[in-house]
Amino acid sequence: MNRIFILTPLITLLIICLFSLVYLLSGKDPSKPPSALLNKDVPIFESSSLYNAKDKIKTKDIKNKKTLINFFASWCSPCKIEHPLFFEIRKKHPELYLLGFNHKDPTSDAKKYLEDDGNPYHFVGVDSDGLIALEFGVFGLPETYLINEDGMIIYKYMGPITKHILENEIEPLL
Amino acid sequence: MKLSRFFKVLYIIILGFVFFTFKIHSAENINERVKKLTLELRCMTCQNQSIYDSDAEFSNDIKKIVKQKLQEGESEGDIKKFLVERYGEYILFRPLMNYNNIFLWSFPFILLIIGLFFVLIKTKGKKI
Repeated sequence: MNRIFILTPLITLLIICLFSLVYLLSGKDPSKPPSALLNKDVPIFESSSLYNAKDKIKTKDIKNKKTLINFFASWCSPCKIEHPLFFEIRKKHPELYLLGFNHKDPTSDAKKYLEDDGNPYHFVGVDSDGLIALEFGVFGLPETYLINEDGMIIYKYMGPITKHILENEIEPLL
Repeated sequence: MKLSRFFKVLYIIILGFVFFTFKIHSAENINERVKKLTLELRCMTCQNQSIYDSDAEFSNDIKKIVKQKLQEGESEGDIKKFLVERYGEYILFRPLMNYNNIFLWSFPFILLIIGLFFVLIKTKGKKI
């Protein structure tokens, strides 16, 4: 009887602590800053094409299609590392819409970069002042977002994506 | 007649002086408010530096946005909300008062009260 009296509060406290710990740490990787826009609607944006200023893309244009958004720049070295993977993604998943946002880059440099390394994107939007990146909560390049058909951000990756990330984190969501 | 012209000129000079003083004061005021607010914001790309203290591109962008929004008349609370919506609570050095944080801070005290409750019952039982 005495043992039960001592053990009951201890077990209760342990259960409360475990639940609290799981609740507070759910979905959080302490090594990475949290992604505030994850599982939220894609921000409202409008951007002109890198190749034709009259050609524009808006938030509503990516509704009803799965979209992979990548923020890149010619001056960003890690972007070069992940760049070839986007060709692979496009080949393996032709239904996926690839949208690249060229971030704070002179137009001529961006065009040259895509000419030299190839252009895997269906559309390259210009984000010369960084305001679109700000709406997406970007704070370093490259950053990649996966948007579902309902226009919700279902995945975000900060830094260059790798084959491992592509196969284990992005492709299962496609 | 001459005196009237003199007063007109004096009037214009005083008005001009008041206008420029007000302008300089409001610019200083905005810069002070930008400093105060950005000191409370974390540079996401730096090692534990505030946005104000950092010269990183990210920090300079946020400083610009904060200044622009203050000039547009937005409150500090609105600007913090705008940034938290995009970058998460992580951008704030001082955590928000929300249910999660209240629970986190009060939990040790809840545990203490529960513990004391059981100790009290146990000691009472022993006395009887």
